[in-house]
Amino acid sequence: MSTHAATGAIDHHHDHTTATGIPNKKLFMWAFLASDCMFFGALISTHLIYRLHPTPGSPDPKKLFSLDLTLFATFVLLISSLLVALAVNATQKSSLKSVRRLLLGTIFFGLIFLSCQVFEYGNFLQEGLTLSSSMFGTTFYTLTGTHGCHVAIGVLWLTLMYIRTFKPADESPWILRSLGHLLVFAVVVVAGVISVVSAAHGVEEHGFALATFAEVARHHLAAILVTAGGLAVLAWLGRTRAAVDFDERNAIDVESLGLYWHFIDIVWIVIFTVVYLLEFL
Amino acid sequence: MSTSSSVATGHAAPQESKFHLLVQMAMILAVITGVEVLLVYLPLPKSLILTGLFVLLTVKFILGIFLFMHLKWDKLFCTILFFIGLILAGGTAAALLAMFNDSDSVPLTSKDVSAVTVVRNIQAV
Repeated sequence: MSTHAATGAIDHHHDHTTATGIPNKKLFMWAFLASDCMFFGALISTHLIYRLHPTPGSPDPKKLFSLDLTLFATFVLLISSLLVALAVNATQKSSLKSVRRLLLGTIFFGLIFLSCQVFEYGNFLQEGLTLSSSMFGTTFYTLTGTHGCHVAIGVLWLTLMYIRTFKPADESPWILRSLGHLLVFAVVVVAGVISVVSAAHGVEEHGFALATFAEVARHHLAAILVTAGGLAVLAWLGRTRAAVDFDERNAIDVESLGLYWHFIDIVWIVIFTVVYLLEFL
Repeated sequence: MSTSSSVATGHAAPQESKFHLLVQMAMILAVITGVEVLLVYLPLPKSLILTGLFVLLTVKFILGIFLFMHLKWDKLFCTILFFIGLILAGGTAAALLAMFNDSDSVPLTSKDVSAVTVVRNIQAV
């Protein structure tokens, strides 16, 4: 403590003003993650139990699952986890430019993961696997859907944190501008996911060729144009050079977000092995 | 001036090592994931592959929570708090799996259901 007091540096792991010595936000997040562990534990167990005793009419998961796609999604989530860890590191160093880039990178990879999930669900629905078609469908969609909801909430939180980095240091109004920022983000995300998923479906059906992308572009021109326009607006909104109220003191906020994101990654690590890999044995 | 620069250097060195640690961690996790997939396709006994998969899963889990989630550098109370949830979750999962492994827990097929209905009808008569 004395060393930190002497150097003026912030101790990011301890808070001597609280009774536990742990920052309250961090304590809350660990308590929440502990409860979320039990939540996912129950969902994973339920899925495993019904895999032990498949009910009549259950599909063969080995024929449904695409290990390539799941492996790709796993690596994507792993990269996003690294980026958010680096974002925490950059916040502790008050490197605003790096924080923004790393948060945007995490959002991008989070969205790629969600796109993979949407693509996978689309394929499963085509194969006739729905939430009510079999017990396997019920437990699978409940488990992976809950995880997907966690990822979506994480992406929203990352977006809000990114917008938070633009809060001006002076008391000038910023709420309306932030809401606009969020709205543009939402539009870009929806249009972007539609564009990426339709491109992936096109590649799956017609192969990786220029003609496939031309066909996808023709059918989803509106979504692609909205994505491109939205990205241009986001780039314009992100060009502010004014002093902002975001520095090393906000590291605990980014760290809480990081804890949540890493937890999502860890839960996926378990789902990847227990739900997907075990089926291929 | 000299004090501040020495402080800055002292502050930057651990940050730099942490950066390398995080990148190495991500690479290790990626390699382990690759090994897991490879393991599934190896012509080895199923029990051996299962054990291997769960060992690798545990290694990834531990590395993730202690290094990526900074538990290693946080107070012990955070570890205890998280492990309370983890043990409860693991215990519940183990109990559920043990319970439903029993032959009495096997769900009824349509044949069984009709047999039970016949027996009930006879008993009613």
